[in-house]
Amino acid sequence: MSAPMLVATEIHRHFEGLHAVDGVSIEVPAGQITGLIGPNGAGKSTFLAVLAGTLPATSGSITFDGRDITRLPAYARARLGLVRTFQLPSEFAQLTVLENLLVAAPNNRGDSLFGALRGKGYWIKDERRLVEQARALLKRFGMSAKESDYAGTMSGGQKRLIEIMRALMLGPRVLLLDEPMSGVHPKIIEEIQRYLQDLRKEGLTILMVEHELHMVERLCDSVVVMAQGKVIGSGTMASLRRQPEIVDAYLVG
Amino acid sequence: MNTFYAANLLIYAGIDIIACLALNLQFGVSGIVNFSFIVFQSVGAYTAAVLSMPPDTANFGFQHYIGGYELPFPIPWIGAVVAGGLLAVPVGLVVLRKLRSDYQAIALLVLSVIANTVITNADKFLGGAGGISLVPSPVGDRITPRTEPYEYFYIGITAVCVAVAFLVVNRVVNSPYGRSLRAMREREIAAAAIGKNPVQLKMTIFIVGGMIAGLSGAILVGYINVWGPTVWLYPETIILFAAIIVGGRGNNIGAILGALLVPVGFEEVTRLINSNGTLANFGPPGLLSALQWVAIGLLILGFLWFRPQGVRPEPRRVFEGGPE
Repeated sequence: MSAPMLVATEIHRHFEGLHAVDGVSIEVPAGQITGLIGPNGAGKSTFLAVLAGTLPATSGSITFDGRDITRLPAYARARLGLVRTFQLPSEFAQLTVLENLLVAAPNNRGDSLFGALRGKGYWIKDERRLVEQARALLKRFGMSAKESDYAGTMSGGQKRLIEIMRALMLGPRVLLLDEPMSGVHPKIIEEIQRYLQDLRKEGLTILMVEHELHMVERLCDSVVVMAQGKVIGSGTMASLRRQPEIVDAYLVG
Repeated sequence: MNTFYAANLLIYAGIDIIACLALNLQFGVSGIVNFSFIVFQSVGAYTAAVLSMPPDTANFGFQHYIGGYELPFPIPWIGAVVAGGLLAVPVGLVVLRKLRSDYQAIALLVLSVIANTVITNADKFLGGAGGISLVPSPVGDRITPRTEPYEYFYIGITAVCVAVAFLVVNRVVNSPYGRSLRAMREREIAAAAIGKNPVQLKMTIFIVGGMIAGLSGAILVGYINVWGPTVWLYPETIILFAAIIVGGRGNNIGAILGALLVPVGFEEVTRLINSNGTLANFGPPGLLSALQWVAIGLLILGFLWFRPQGVRPEPRRVFEGGPE
């Protein structure tokens, strides 16, 4: 086991009496793909949102690479390299596909008021470099032809891809993926899988919520099972299948 | 059409263009529904006025206001820009941080009404309900105001300000920073998830827009030489919103077109009908000016229904070297 990259301790998230996340503690090991599974309404997405800072935790603490990030807002966590995707399509509809990727890139001199006021000459080099980087990603995911189309006009699967590529443009250290494959064409799913495995080899840490258990089995080094806001088990898929209470709760069939 | 009428139209056009560029940056590009925009124009006007006027003991003390520093041009205008930006700080901190964007719009509208009521009733502060008059024309001591040379001079400085405002806004909108603003407008939570700080972005644009609005107020008060609560009632903001919606949200050229079509063109046309001899006595008193507001409302509705993207839609950014 490598050292944990992301540690959440006793996370609670309550919505007016509903305990969506009820004391969850997990460690996400560095350089691995960890799956987060569980029935609908188990609190997986809420937990992911708390990890990313989209929702504040009611109580509990989160450390990222040894640093306490519990109080950091979402944007600050993203800048540190803890980047999430969303369960529902969350493209920037009135930006083109290419712009959706470009906007996420850090280190663009034109991405500040004063940088912008200095004019195109000041930032065009950064912009060109990032356009190249973004186009390489688009090519890999077979979306080059769409680069100048508005993201809002894309299909559900394409929006999903845009979001994954957008997250990758940040150069993340930990990716939090919320059902990245849902609604995506099987061919592209293979491509995403291959890419995630490549990223893992390069040392990226991934925590992903996913319902498709075959995929979880193939991709994930270890799996955490949630039900009713609590962690009810963790380990490899093979070991989880041997625990009757977990099979009862979720892994039916 | 005589020279003065033409000059008057040009100067008003310049002022409205500057205001629309600022509002487009806030509303069209960044999605901030600033229903108190006119307050920022007004704070610029009041600031420029009290910085350029003599102390209120002058002219037998017939009006009361704070300040009165008799500062030479362009200091009052610079002061107006600074004041517009400064006002944006507390307003932005209260309104833009915690509230959801639809509630932000409501809060800003209420703020506009409150500000107007307060200024109207605070007699000694900025002239109260009667406002301030005898505001000096910039450089009026060297070029005689209300002469043809002065009109040309004023058209000139207005044009310079339009150019500067356009340059600033255009650079912001067409930069990677502008792209971040548009992303925030489209989906704030997702923008935060890719490292954009929505509160900081909104605050910055609120301040920049406030500064430009302040400048437009300074130009206006320097030209008409009076300012008072009745010229910055909240519906004035709605006219500017109409201009942005008609011209094209997110498009700077659209904002300029909108300024020319709505506050200048549309209002001018309806005003002419209003004062025209044959129609002046049409219906009960006040009917025509009320209908003018109805027309503005219908214009907004019509565009939102039939052409929501406006006359000049936001440009789609296509990058060189791509496929196709």
